[in-house]
Order: sequence, then C-alpha cells, then structure tokens
Amino acid sequence: MIKSRPVYRPFALDVTGRAHLVITDQPQPPEALDLALANISLWTVKTIAPGVPAPAAERCRTFRAVPEMFAFLSHYLSRASIGLRFYAVGSEPFIWDAYNIGTGAGLTAAEMFLAQSGPPCRRVYCCHCKTMIDDVKETIAVCPGCGSSLQVRDHFSRRLAAFMGVKVDAETPGNIPLPELLSS
Amino acid sequence: MKLKITGVVPLSPTIREFLLADAEGAPLPTAGAGAHIMLRIPGPERMWKNAYSLVSSPEDHHEYKIIVRRVEHSRGGSAWLHDHAAIGDMLEAETPQNLFPIPLLAYKHLLLSAGIGITPMLAYLQVLRKPFELHHCGKLEDAGAFAGLLPTAPNVFMHTNRNALDLEYLLAHQTLGTHLSVCGPASFMDVVLQTAQNLGWPGAKVHKESFGGATGGTPFIAHLRRSNITISVGADESLLEAIETAGLTPPSLCRGGACGVCETALLDGVPDHRDHYLSDTQRACNSAIMPCVSRAKTPELVLDI
Repeated sequence: MIKSRPVYRPFALDVTGRAHLVITDQPQPPEALDLALANISLWTVKTIAPGVPAPAAERCRTFRAVPEMFAFLSHYLSRASIGLRFYAVGSEPFIWDAYNIGTGAGLTAAEMFLAQSGPPCRRVYCCHCKTMIDDVKETIAVCPGCGSSLQVRDHFSRRLAAFMGVKVDAETPGNIPLPELLSS
Repeated sequence: MKLKITGVVPLSPTIREFLLADAEGAPLPTAGAGAHIMLRIPGPERMWKNAYSLVSSPEDHHEYKIIVRRVEHSRGGSAWLHDHAAIGDMLEAETPQNLFPIPLLAYKHLLLSAGIGITPMLAYLQVLRKPFELHHCGKLEDAGAFAGLLPTAPNVFMHTNRNALDLEYLLAHQTLGTHLSVCGPASFMDVVLQTAQNLGWPGAKVHKESFGGATGGTPFIAHLRRSNITISVGADESLLEAIETAGLTPPSLCRGGACGVCETALLDGVPDHRDHYLSDTQRACNSAIMPCVSRAKTPELVLDI
C-alpha cells in the first residue's frame, strides 16, 4: 500500500456535529444514512429523470449533474455555520473534488468524511501533458491529449483528486506490459 | 537571559505594565504573537517562576512589554512585581516560548478573552492579517485600564461581565473558516471550550492559552520513587515547585497546565487534575500528572521521577 493511497472508513455520522450535509454522486443515499435524525441534509444526483428535479423534502435536494451540485455547494458552504459535518460518498474523483471545495470553504479534515462507493474507476492525470482522463477502468490508458499510452500508478494526488499516469514504456522504450483491470 | 526593567506604568491599582530590555542592551530574540516569557522573580523564601504573555509587537527587538495583574492572595510573583519591582532592577528570564501561535489557516479569527487573558490578544491585534472579532470580558473596575489598550473598532467588544456576552449565539454563528482563540481564567476557558464543543466546533479550530497557573490547595506528600525523595507540598506551592525546591530540575515550559512538557508518570495515588493537556481518558487512568498545576485527592502521591 502506497502512502498517498487514501483509506476510507465506511459511512457513519459524526455525532459531535450540530448539522450534517451528506452529498453523493449516486441517485440513492448511502445505506447507513438515517434521515430521521435531526439536522441532516442530503444531496443526490439523478442524471436521467423527467422534468426539473424538485426537492423531495425540505432537506433533500436532487441535482441533474455533479458540476451543478458543486456550484451550489460552494455557495452553500460559504453561508454555513461552524459545527457542520460534511460527508461525501461516491466515486473517488467525486469525493476528493468535494473535499477540495470543503477545504476552500474553511473546513478541516476533522470536519469532512469521505466514503468510496460505486464501481472502481479512476481519474488519471497525464504527467506529460497535464490532461485529466476520467472513468479509467484499466491500466494501460491512452491519453486523449498527447496520445501516450499511460501506466496508471497507485500514486494519488488529493489536490488534483487524480491518480498519476506515466508513459508506460518511458524507462525502456518498447517494453509494454499487458493491460490490467484496476481494483479501485 | 538577563533582563532589565526599563519602564513601569500603572494601568489601574491592580494592573501594571512593565517594559523589559536586555541587561546589556543587546537585541532581544524574536517572539511571535502569543508568546510568553518566564521570569524568575525573587521572593522572601525562594524564587518564583511565572509566565507572562508578551504584549509588545513581535517586530520589537528593543523591549518586551508585559502586563501583570496583582493576584489576590498572591503567592509571591505578582506581589513582588507590584510592590518591589522598580526601573533598573534585573530579572533572570527564559527565552520566550510560543504555545499560543496565531492559527494561520484561519479565514477569520474569533478572539475571546477574560480578565488578564487579554494580554496575548494585544499582541495578536498588532499582526493579524485576516478579519477578526474580539470579545473581552472583564470586571467593571478593570474596564478603564483595558479600554485604553484596545483599539476602538466595530469588531472589538468589551463586556463588563461574562453574562453580557451571549456566548452560545456568538459561537453558533461563525463561518466555516473561523478559528477560535481563547485566553482567560480557567473558569472562563472551561465555559467557552464546553460551549464550543457542544456546538460542534472541531478541536482543530479551537486554540487556547491557559493563564493563572497553580492556585494552591490542600497540602500533601509526594514520594519521588526514582530519586528516592519524599517531599511535602505546601498549601501555597505547586507540586512542580516543591520538586524543584528538593533540588530536582524536571522539564517544564508553560507552568500553566497547557503545554504538556512536565507530564510525569504517576505510580500511586489519585491526582486532582487541573491541567488542560491530558485527555479525559488519560485523566481517568490516573497514570500521569501535570505537576505544574495538578494536586492530590489522596494524602500521598507516588511519582516516577
């Protein structure tokens, strides 16, 4: 296990918080979430649904896409009061993008909780041309920016919310290993 | 280091400001906002080691400024400074230490102080670059002395008693990037810290400097197992002071139960924990004690020292 590879705990509410905001890139809330508890807000993403998403309940919001949720998140956090606990549940790039928005709003690691869910997929950062490649499921990945075949390493950048992709035969030109499915 | 008293300014009958310069006139070490200095103050029977926050600007290498309240039933330190200290007197001091540095990650500083706990905040005010809000609670008779030290600004509030400050409302309505810095007597700090915790403030955003230090209490006996010494701790001295009187030199820094440097293993006896350092779990174990402030609930303690 590499040091930079984050380790996630299962989703659970931190009872020392006064209010809780749970966001997920999935249509459904995390299983362990009990919405009956006080002061919990839940934001989900429903990509395909007829009409304009309407709030299901006062504290539940549905977004059409993750960027829409993140735009509203920055606004929401800038007006929130201390005592809030922030939870992001979903794909690894999603939860770390959320973490970085939280940090920008003044939240510390002690107030944020990340849980990974959904099928394994990685965002990969091409070290050669700085292109971000989403939904990478196997190493070797081809960079759409510079065309390099990239080996997806386990090195993870929390700032970029992405894994490191390095030209696969950079050390020994022509020495190309077999592709492998990524575990997470 | 050796310091010379270069100025004494009475701010009120019980509060005095002292200016200290290097005895040889050499430049003083830089001390960031929130730092304190430990002075060795001569007493009739022994030396007192008292820590005082520096209120001078960190940029000032010529003079340190401290503000000292004459403590009621003073055990020696503040009484000597008020009654005997005069311009030209020499004092031994330790190099300044900072256990209360400005939290640089804060987007906004919420500063809460009570009584003489205003002193580190006065140093803060000179160097803060982010927005801040200061609430100071003090007795009515001190209001004049402190009002002269604080700037008149819409974000600086003086409360003449603690009830005038709606702590719960204040702490519940702060933006996510706010850090709380609190300094004052233990009773004030306890209320602020407890209220903050109840409202969900994470520990990483709460910064505290304890003041006042040892308050004395029932005398007790301490056995120092490794040194094979038995000492009696008087009503008006701390365990740490008694250990030092016995000739030992255990490490210590803030002498106010905040820094944790003097933490000592406890082999037997039940301590009366008065520090701000040990966690509740550590307190319950009764396996460690901060001798600078904590005392004994049992007639005797056995220390691994």
